[in-house]
Amino acid sequence: MTREETPLPFTFDSTRFGQIEIADGSVIDFPHGLIGFESRRFALIAREVDADFVWLHSLDDAALAIPVCDPRRFFSSFALEIPAEELERLALPQLTETAIYVTVRASDQLADFTANLRAPIVIAAGVGHQVINQAADASLRAPLFGELAAKAAQTTERAA
Amino acid sequence: MLIITRRPGEKIVLGEDITVTVMEVSGQTVRLGIDAPKSLPIYREEIWAAVKQENAAAAAARDLPPLPDRGGRAA
Repeated sequence: MTREETPLPFTFDSTRFGQIEIADGSVIDFPHGLIGFESRRFALIAREVDADFVWLHSLDDAALAIPVCDPRRFFSSFALEIPAEELERLALPQLTETAIYVTVRASDQLADFTANLRAPIVIAAGVGHQVINQAADASLRAPLFGELAAKAAQTTERAA
Repeated sequence: MLIITRRPGEKIVLGEDITVTVMEVSGQTVRLGIDAPKSLPIYREEIWAAVKQENAAAAAARDLPPLPDRGGRAA
């Protein structure tokens, strides 16, 4: 696969965000794409510093942007298990050296937001892969605010 | 659909560089060994279909609302 040489930084016209600047070093190649999409080049777009959600924006399709989050911010017991053969197949380093994101399925109500813990996106050295998590409790639709709601209920209980 | 009968230890070759080996048959379960180029992703079909659906649903998001305060401070 040839890597397209694009001078960086460059601006990109996003359907969702208008003109955005793609900084040097922020283009991520997905040699296998994301399951169901043709795009092969993405960039992570944060709309604010330290945002809980960032957007994995296609650089091949101006209309394709997927909200993602770091699962460890929302799920204290999040675990990612990938067979060693699969890591080797994908030429991924140890998982401790990769950034991990999960796709977020938004909804009208925050309480209905879910994250796909079953198919996280791992990124290392400018290359990304959507992988299948073998961890037994990795849900396709894990309630994103489940732990927060539980914590809030606890706080209310203590205050009462 | 092409249907081929194989016994444990026997293989199927797809094109030049993909080999599927029947490793073991046990009751309702078949274990397959797959040799394929690294450029070819391999998924269990039902997981592939479910993830495809989740990806499409995630990409259909409208703008995200602000998140509730999660700093753990007392309200």
